[in-house]
Order: sequence, then structure tokens, then C-alpha cells
Amino acid sequence: MTPLLQVDDLCMHFPVKEGLFLRSHKANRAVDGVSLHINPGETLGLVGESGCGKSTLGRCLVRLYEPSAGTIRFAGQDITHLKPRALRPLRQNIQMIFQDPMESLNARHTVGEILEEPMIIQGLGGSSVERKQRVRELLNIVGLPARSVSRYPFEFSGGQRQRIGIARAIALNPQLIVCDEPVSALDVSIQSQILNLLVDLQREFNLAYLFIAHDLAVVKHVSDRVAIMYLGRIVETADSETLYRNASHPYTKSLISAIPVPDPHRDHQRQILTGDVPSPIAPPSGCHFHPRCPVAEPRCSERYPATRIVGEGHESACHLSPEN
Amino acid sequence: MFRLNPQTLKKLRRFRHIKRGYYSFLLLAGLMVLLAFGELLVNSRALLVSYQGELYFPTYTAFHPGTDFGLNYDYEVNYRELKEQFDQDGSGNWLIMPLVPYNAFENHAPDGVFTPLAPNATQQHYLGTDTTSRDILARLFYGTRIALIFSIGFMLSVYLIGIAIGCSMGYFGGIFDLLFQRLIEIWSNVPFLYMVIIIFSVIPAAFSVPTRIGILLIVMVLFSWTGMTYYMRTETYKEKARDYVAAARVIGASNSRIIFRHILPNILSTLVTFMPFTIVGAISAITALDFLGFGLPPPTPSLGELLKQGTANLRTAPWIVTSAFGTLVALLTLVTFIGEAVRESFDPKTYSIYR
Repeated sequence: MTPLLQVDDLCMHFPVKEGLFLRSHKANRAVDGVSLHINPGETLGLVGESGCGKSTLGRCLVRLYEPSAGTIRFAGQDITHLKPRALRPLRQNIQMIFQDPMESLNARHTVGEILEEPMIIQGLGGSSVERKQRVRELLNIVGLPARSVSRYPFEFSGGQRQRIGIARAIALNPQLIVCDEPVSALDVSIQSQILNLLVDLQREFNLAYLFIAHDLAVVKHVSDRVAIMYLGRIVETADSETLYRNASHPYTKSLISAIPVPDPHRDHQRQILTGDVPSPIAPPSGCHFHPRCPVAEPRCSERYPATRIVGEGHESACHLSPEN
Repeated sequence: MFRLNPQTLKKLRRFRHIKRGYYSFLLLAGLMVLLAFGELLVNSRALLVSYQGELYFPTYTAFHPGTDFGLNYDYEVNYRELKEQFDQDGSGNWLIMPLVPYNAFENHAPDGVFTPLAPNATQQHYLGTDTTSRDILARLFYGTRIALIFSIGFMLSVYLIGIAIGCSMGYFGGIFDLLFQRLIEIWSNVPFLYMVIIIFSVIPAAFSVPTRIGILLIVMVLFSWTGMTYYMRTETYKEKARDYVAAARVIGASNSRIIFRHILPNILSTLVTFMPFTIVGAISAITALDFLGFGLPPPTPSLGELLKQGTANLRTAPWIVTSAFGTLVALLTLVTFIGEAVRESFDPKTYSIYR
């Protein structure tokens, strides 16, 4: 099976401009050599601390940024450096759901205008009447009343706003949706509603998701496979069952041990990470994780570990991972 | 269908609750309606003439030579004299004059000597006359009208240029931004007053008055648009980074669509708060230039020109400076009150939609 999205050695380095003539001597290596793939109809969870580059990676995939190296292939087509005009027809296949629905919905437009805009831009949806019909249909799919059409985003609650954002993302019948922390700005009680909506939509329209989050519990709920990201690189990938039961990378292990367990009597060994995420402008030598790693060895500060296959579909970038 | 955004409605409601600004706005709006139909109120032409059973409305028509009404001259009828004549001869002809039966340009000196005349109601010079016997009320009235039209035109042109350039600087950024910033810094250091003096000394006197007013407007706009770009540039930078712009990009929106449909509407509502203050600035600037003699070309009625006359004849004709000064203060106060109320009710810091 050819993957829907194939990413190879993707880098996104933002130049840091300094001095009188704004020359760049350094770069912020927000994404530094990421490879991953997403199959049709599958959800890949992407987890990492804030500032690890997961949002930047998501934005590269929808080509909000032009990557500085590597390739992004969508359904076999290289879209890494396509010009906006050439990219436009492909846009309908890759959509995005944003973290903060208040920020991502233009407050000057009604919900009807927001949902109609993708169809107008892409020249889809037929006549104006047909487009309006489609807007009502979309509202129905995401569970909003049809009278929302003439209302403005700020007249809705957070969860309803995110539903509008989701309706906009599916308006063009995409195959892949990049969900950039779609529930982290919402109340916990609303989060599960939105997650269930996303899962239902996936089943109904055979969508593939790249689900970005910093909350492993949320990711576990929706993902088929999970990738763990640390400082611009992916350190471990596995299907979600394996990852939660049998994590190989020490960073993943500490993340999993940090998931709260709703049982006060259970003896729970926490592995608390000390220190902060290092700066992506000057990452540590060798394995980026070694200054915080509980099991670091001398070789960890010398070489960045190669990605090894630990099990079936399970990859880990750690010197200590057992090679299968 | 045109429908106001509920946020805008809320702002307007807040504006209405700020009484001082709201009533100033109503007053100024009323004044502007009066000014728009000024020819019906302050004019040397009659509103309505009934001559030999026929009705004439000379206000907005071509001029009637004296022969039309049985007079022995073929230049424009002097309606004030005609009215006296009609009243005396009892022929059943009659005419109605406007409230102030003078226009801004005529020198009305019955005894043939041009001298400032104190306000008096019998001659219907309610605010007196200036040094060349022109009615001050008429000159103030039309002077205000020209000042307002001029400053609105000034504001619109400044905003058009400022928004266009500032927005492109913010949106496209990079070298374009850097280059224009330096150009603007250089340009805004050119002394405006010297430029006006130089330009007006080289314009041929043969140019018509409207042309000269147009040139003045262009010169003033050329030296004022830079201030707007600073604001627009930073606002565009700010809005560009918001997620709704990213969302528009993801669905494939073009640059022009993003600018005109997404960024501009979000900035323009806050831009409204500047408008009254720009108008205040323009009225002050044009009055100051008139006072110095580099503003609106004579014989255009203007507040600054009256102030100049008034200060020159402060002892002999104090009514000139009083009425001109009073008008200027009233006008600027009204607009400033409106501006303060608009700023308070539109304040983007207090009432932001986004975080």
C-alpha cells in the first residue's frame, strides 16, 4: 500500500537574523530531519512538549511554510516546493484544524461565509444555491443548527466554534487533515465530544489525521500509530498499543509515566524529567535528549543515535534500544 | 443583504451612550446638512421670485440678467434691490430672500467705501462685514464648508495611500518593507512648510482657484500619508500572524483575497477611531496655512483668512476675530468630542474579539 503522505528527512530551519544587516548566522532548527508516513484512513498521533516543533511540522505539511530541506509527497506527488498557484488545487486534499477556534475563524465573517469560502476559492460546490445547501449539510454533519449560518463565530461557545473549524476543514472532502491540538483549548467535558466527532468523521469519510497533541491520554484515544517528537526530531514511532505497553525510548517512558492514573491506591512509579527543553537554536551534542535522560551513557553525548527497528512498525532512536 | 456585524452594532450602541460625543455628532451632522444646502440659507440670490405671474427659482439655475425682471441692465440681478423695488411699486410681484441675503464674494458697501461694518440686523449683516465689506457670516459659512470638504478629501486620500502602502509593507515584509521604511523616514524629514511655500511661489497665478485648491490638497497629502503607514504596517504584521489568515491560506486563498477579505476588514474597524482626529488636524493645518497666506487661494472664503484680517484689525473691528475664532473653536471641539467618543467605544484594546 502506498502511503497517503510520505515525509522524508524534512527540515524547517528558521534563520535567526541578527546585527545591523540582519544576516543570519544561526538557525532555529524547529524541525530537523523528520521522516514519517500516514496511510489512507489512518490517524498518526504526534506528541511532544511545547516548543518541540510539532506544530511547525504540521504547518509544513499543509505548506504554510516552505520546508528548508527534505521532501513531502502527497499521494506520490512531491509538494515540497510547489508554488502557491500549483498548490491551490491540491489544497482541497490536505486541510487543517487549528488549536484556538476563536483565532482561526475570522470574526468579521458569518459562519455561512466561513464555510462557503473554501468552495468559492476552489471553484467547487456549484452555484450559490448549491453551496448554501452544502453549508447547511456541513453544519448538520458537525452537529450545529442550520440557523448558525447567519451568526458570527464569537456568538458560539468554544466547542461549537471548534465544530465550525472542523466543518470548514471537511468542506472540500479532504483525504488528510492536520489537527493541530484541536482540543487543548477546550474544556475537558467538551474535549471528548470533539474527539468523538473527529473519530466519527474519520469513519464516515475515510479521513487520515495527523493528530498533534501534548496530551498522551488524548492521543491514545484517537490514534492508530503514535510518533513522539523531541526537539525537532522523532524519537519513537509505534502503533499506539505497543507504545503504551512497551515503550522503548526513555523519553517516551517518562511521558507515559506522567499520565495521571485515576486510582489513588495504585503504587505508581513516576519518572519526573528535570530541566527544560533545550533551545532548538543550539541543541545539545549527540542525542538531544541526553542532558535529561535518566539512563544516559557517554556515547549518548557523542553521536545522535540512528533509528532502529525495535519491533514491527516500532522504531526508536536510542542507543540503548534493543535492535530487533 | 447588507447587515451590520453584531460587534459593530455593539460599538455603535456604546457610542450612543457616550452622550457628549453622540450629541456632538448629531450637531455636526445637522450642520453638515445645513452646509450641503447652504445656497438656500446664505446666498445673494432669491429663493423664489414671482414676476408677472410666473415663478422663478434662481438658487441653483443659471444666472438671470436684470432684463429678465424688467431691469435696465444685463448683468446678474441684484435681488436685494429687486425686492425693495417690488415692495415699493405694489405690482403684485414678490420675492423671498434667504435668511442671510449675501454671498461670500460680494463687497456690499452701500456708501461706496470698503470698511468693516459692525454686526447689525437691519442690514442683515448679522456678524458684520470684513475689511472689504464682505458679509462675515456668509464667509464663515462657506469657509467652514470648504474646510470640511477639504479635510474629508484630505483624510480619504491620506488613508487610501497610507493603507495601501502600509498594508503592503506589513504583508509582504522583507526587502520591500525595509526599503519603504527608509524611504518614508527620509521623506518625512522634508520640511512641509518650506515645500508649500516653494511650490506656491512657482505655481502660475493663471491657474484657476479649484486647481490651486487641488494642488494644495495634493501637497498636503504627499506630506501626511507617512503617519498612517506606521500604524497600518504594524497592524498588518499582527493580523498576518493570526490563525485565521493561516486558515485562509490552507484553503487556498490568494494574497489579494487574504488582504481584502480577511486582514483589512479586521484592521479598518480600529482605523475608524483615527478619522475624527485626522479631520481636526486637517482643519487646523488648512487654517494655519491660510493664516500665513499659503493656504486656499483668495478670494476663497476661509477661517484662516478671516483670522488674519481679524488680528490685523483687532482694535477697529474686533467682531471679525471673535466670530472666526468662535467658529473654529466650536468646530474643532465638536470633532474632538466625536473623536473621543469613537475612540472610547471602538477601543480595540478593551473590546478585542481575538485574544
